[in-house]
Amino acid sequence: MPRFVIPLVIALVGLALFGHGALIHAKAIVAQVLLDRAFNQTIATGHPVKPWSWADTVPVARIVVKRLGVSTIALAGSSGQALAFGAGHVEGTAEPGEPGIAVYSAHRDTHFRFLRDVRIGDEIEMVRRDGRTFRYRADAAHVVRFDASGIDPAAGGPELVLSTCWPFDALTEGPERYVLHATLIAGE
Amino acid sequence: MSETIDYDIRSSAHPVRSWVVTMLLFLLLEAAAVLLVGFAALFLSLTPSWSAEGPLAPLTKPGDARSGALLFKSDSGYAEAPRLGIDVDVVVSGPTARARVTQLFKNTSAQWLEAVYVYPLPPDSAVDTLKMIVGDRVVVGDIKPRQQAKVIYEQAKREGKTAALTEQERPNIFTNSLANIGPGETVLVQIEYQQQVSQEAGAFSLRVPLVVAPRYNPKPIVQSVDLRPDSNGWGAASNDPVPDRDRISSEVLDPAKSDPVNPTKITVRLQAGFIIGEVKSHHHQVTVDSPDTKTRIVTLAEGVVPADRDFELTWKPAAAAMPSVGLFHEQVGDADYLLAFVTPPTVAATAQRPQPRDVIFVIDNSGSMGGTSIRQAKASLLYALGRLQPGDRFNVIRFDDTMTVLFPGSVPADAEHVGSATSFVSALDARGGTEMVPAMRAALTDDGSDSERVRQVVFLTDGAIGNEQQLFETITAMRGRSRIFMVGIGSAPNTYLMSRAAELGRGAFTHIGSVEQVEERMRDLFAKLENPVVTGLSATFSEASADLTPAVLPDVYRNEPLVLAAKIDRLAGSLQLKGRIGDQPWTITLPLAGAAEGKGLSKLWARRKIGDAEVARTMRQMTPEEADGAILKLAMEHQLVTRLTSLVAVDKTPRRPDGEPLKLAELPINLPAGWDFEKVFGERNRLPAMQKDRRAEAEGEVQLAALKRPVVPAAPATITLPKTATDAELSMLLGLGILLLELIWLAAIRRRAAN
Repeated sequence: MPRFVIPLVIALVGLALFGHGALIHAKAIVAQVLLDRAFNQTIATGHPVKPWSWADTVPVARIVVKRLGVSTIALAGSSGQALAFGAGHVEGTAEPGEPGIAVYSAHRDTHFRFLRDVRIGDEIEMVRRDGRTFRYRADAAHVVRFDASGIDPAAGGPELVLSTCWPFDALTEGPERYVLHATLIAGE
Repeated sequence: MSETIDYDIRSSAHPVRSWVVTMLLFLLLEAAAVLLVGFAALFLSLTPSWSAEGPLAPLTKPGDARSGALLFKSDSGYAEAPRLGIDVDVVVSGPTARARVTQLFKNTSAQWLEAVYVYPLPPDSAVDTLKMIVGDRVVVGDIKPRQQAKVIYEQAKREGKTAALTEQERPNIFTNSLANIGPGETVLVQIEYQQQVSQEAGAFSLRVPLVVAPRYNPKPIVQSVDLRPDSNGWGAASNDPVPDRDRISSEVLDPAKSDPVNPTKITVRLQAGFIIGEVKSHHHQVTVDSPDTKTRIVTLAEGVVPADRDFELTWKPAAAAMPSVGLFHEQVGDADYLLAFVTPPTVAATAQRPQPRDVIFVIDNSGSMGGTSIRQAKASLLYALGRLQPGDRFNVIRFDDTMTVLFPGSVPADAEHVGSATSFVSALDARGGTEMVPAMRAALTDDGSDSERVRQVVFLTDGAIGNEQQLFETITAMRGRSRIFMVGIGSAPNTYLMSRAAELGRGAFTHIGSVEQVEERMRDLFAKLENPVVTGLSATFSEASADLTPAVLPDVYRNEPLVLAAKIDRLAGSLQLKGRIGDQPWTITLPLAGAAEGKGLSKLWARRKIGDAEVARTMRQMTPEEADGAILKLAMEHQLVTRLTSLVAVDKTPRRPDGEPLKLAELPINLPAGWDFEKVFGERNRLPAMQKDRRAEAEGEVQLAALKRPVVPAAPATITLPKTATDAELSMLLGLGILLLELIWLAAIRRRAAN
C-alpha cells in the first residue's frame, strides 16, 4: 500500500537528517567530557594523554571564560576530525604565553558558540598542558575572510585569537570568519 | 522492512488490527516529533538572539568611534574634504590674553559641504564671540542654550542657509560645524576667547593648544551606578563612561602616509605692562620683534606650521624678581570685576624640617605615550626617584589597560628599593589602552598607617582619555589625605584633565613637552612637593561686598601665585589675605584703589565661577540641577560657550538651491608631534578592522561623505583560518521540517481513514 510506504520513507529520511545533526552535537558534548579527563591527566602526568584509544589527536589547552561559565578543551591541530570534538589549536601558531599569536578555531555551533557572548574586556584564561595558566583580555573583534585573516602568527607579543565562522546564525558555510583578539595580561 | 509491514497491514484480514498498527505508528512518530521539537526549543533557547545580530556589542572597544571615522563610507563613494587653515592671533594685555582664532574652510569640491572640525582651546578659555564671514557679509553669532542652538543650526542647514555652530565638548575641546559651503567657496569662522595669563616659577606663560590628541575611551563594560540620597536605593546604571565618544574623536592622519594638514599661523602681541626680559617659545621656532621695551610681537619663524603640538610661550620681566602682587579691575555696568595675583614670600626650606613623605608615583605607559612621550615620562620619573630623601617612603604604579603596583605597599626610599624601581621604570614600554581610573584608585588607596606622614601622588600622563569625569569622581571620592600632582607629558597634553585633577586633589600640575624641560619642570615640582605650602588662606574685603572665586581658597605651593577673581559692588577699601606659611602667620593687604585697568576680567570671573560650579557638581556639593542652573545663568549673562550653551550664527539668505545635496565632511587632524601612530592605532594595521557604515541623521538629502583612506591591506604573512561550521543545525532543521510535513500528511490520512 504506497500511501504508507511514502510517509515511512520520508519519516526515515527526516529522522536520519535530524539524527545526523543531533549526533554532531552529541559527539561534541560527549567528547568534551572525555577530553577534559584526558587533559587533567595530561597536566598531572606531564605526558600527552589520548582521550580515547583510537584518537588521532591530543588535548593541548583549556579555554576558560569565567564570566560566561565556559570551559572548553582545545586539541592539537585544526583538521576537520579534530574540530568535531573540540576547539583546534591552529598548526604553526604560538603556544599561549609565548611571543606570537596563538590561534584557536572551533565550530560556531558547538564549542565556540560562546564567542558571540564574549565582550571586549572579558578575561580569557588559557591553561596549557604543562598546567600553567595565562590570562588574556579580549580587546578587539573583527570579521575577515578565511584566506585574508591578516594574522601573522609570528608578530607581536603574547596574543590570542579565537576564530569561528561568521555570521553566527547562518545555516550554510561561508568564507567569513569572526576573529576575537585578546592580549596577555598576566601569567602564573 | 517497510515492505513487510506494509504487506502485513494490507494483507490483514482484521480491520481492528490494521487500525491499531496505524495508530501505533502515528503515536510513535508523534512522540518522536515532540521530542525533536523539544530539542529544537532547547537549542533555540541557547541562542536568545536568533536573528543575525552583528558583532557590534563586542566591538564597543576603545577608539571604535575613531575606527568608524576612519572607515566610514557613504553609498555615493568618497568626497573631497574642505581644506582648513588656522590663524591664531593673541593679544596679551597685562594679566589677560585675548585670542582670535580664525578657521578658514575652503571647499575644493564641486558639491555643497558641511564641515565639522574638532579643536582644542585652553581649559580656562572664556569663548564669547563667533563670527562667520561669507563673501563680504559678516554674521555675528548669538549665545543660546545648547539644544536651542542646535535646532537653529539644523534648521538653517535644511533651508540651505550658511550657518556656523560652536559647541563645547570638554572645557578644552570645542567643535565648529559649518553648514552649506558652496562649491569652490571659502568661508571664515572666527571665535574669540579671553584667558588669564599663567604665572609660575618666575615666568609668565601662555599656552595655545593646536590639536586634540586621540583619546582612549574605555568601553562600557563596568557599569557605574549613580545612587542619589533621595532615591531610596533605586538608581540607573549608566553604561558608557564616554557617552559622547563620537564627538571628541576625529580621524587622525598617519604622518607616515600623508602630509600634515591644517596649516596654522600664530601671532602673539605681548603687552606685559612691565619691561620685558627673556621671551621663549618652547616648541616652535619664532621671530620676536620689539617695538618698545614693554611690547613684543612674536610670530612663527616658518610662517605656518602644521597643527600638531601645543604652542607654549613664556616671558620674564627684565627686573631680576617677578612682581609678587598684581591687581587689576574692569568696570562692567555697575559692577567691578577684580583680578588679583599674590605670590607668597618664599620661606627658606632650611628653616623648616622637611616632613617625611609617602610618595606614590604613577606612570602611564599606554600606547598614546609611545614615541617621545614615554621617554620624557621615564626621564621625569627617574629624576623624581633620584630626588627621594632617606626618610621618605615610596611606591611605583604603571598602567596601560593593565596595571602593575611595584611594591605591595610603600617602601623606604633606600638604595635597594630605589634601585629596583629604577630598573622597573627603565624597562617600561608604551603599549595598550589607557585605563586611568583603576590606577588612580590604586594610588589613592591609603592604608592609613602612619598618618603623620604627608601622602603625595605624582601622576605622569598625557591625559589622552575621554572619561575625565570618571577620573574626577574617583579623586573626589578617594582623595582622603593624599595630594595629587599631575605631570602632563607630550606635545599635546590634556590640560583640562591636569588642572582639574590637581585642583580636586589639592596639588599642583606641570607640563613637560620635551626631554629638555624634564629637569627644570621636575625640579620646580619637587620644590612644591618638598616645601611648606601656604595654608588656611582667607580673603576679606574691608568695604566692598564681593562674590569671590574660588570661594574656598586653595593651599598655595611655592613659586605659585594665588589667583583671585571677584565681582565687587564698589572699588573702595582694601583686600586683606591671611594665611599660614608653615608655622608662621602671613598677612597681606592690597588697597583696591590702586588697581589698574584690565580687559575682559568679567568674562574671566564668569568662566571661573562656571568652573567652580562644575567642580561643586563633581563633588556633590551642588545637585546637578542647581549647578546647571547656575552655569546657564552665568553663561547667558556673560555670553560664554559652556557645556550648556553654544554660539550659533546664521546667514539670513538661503544659498544652497533646493534639491542640491549637502555632504558632511569631518575634518581630519594631525597626530600630535612625537606620537607613534603604530602604538596608538597599531592593532588596526595588523587586523583589518571591520567596515562600519555611518549614516547621516534624518534628512534624506544629507548624505554622508567620506574623506578617508582605504582599509589597510592584510599583512603578507597570514594564516588561513579553518572551516568552522558544521551542517548540524541545517540537518536538524531540515529533518524537523520533513517530520512535521509527515505528521500533517499522516493526520490527513488518518482523517480520511476515519471517514
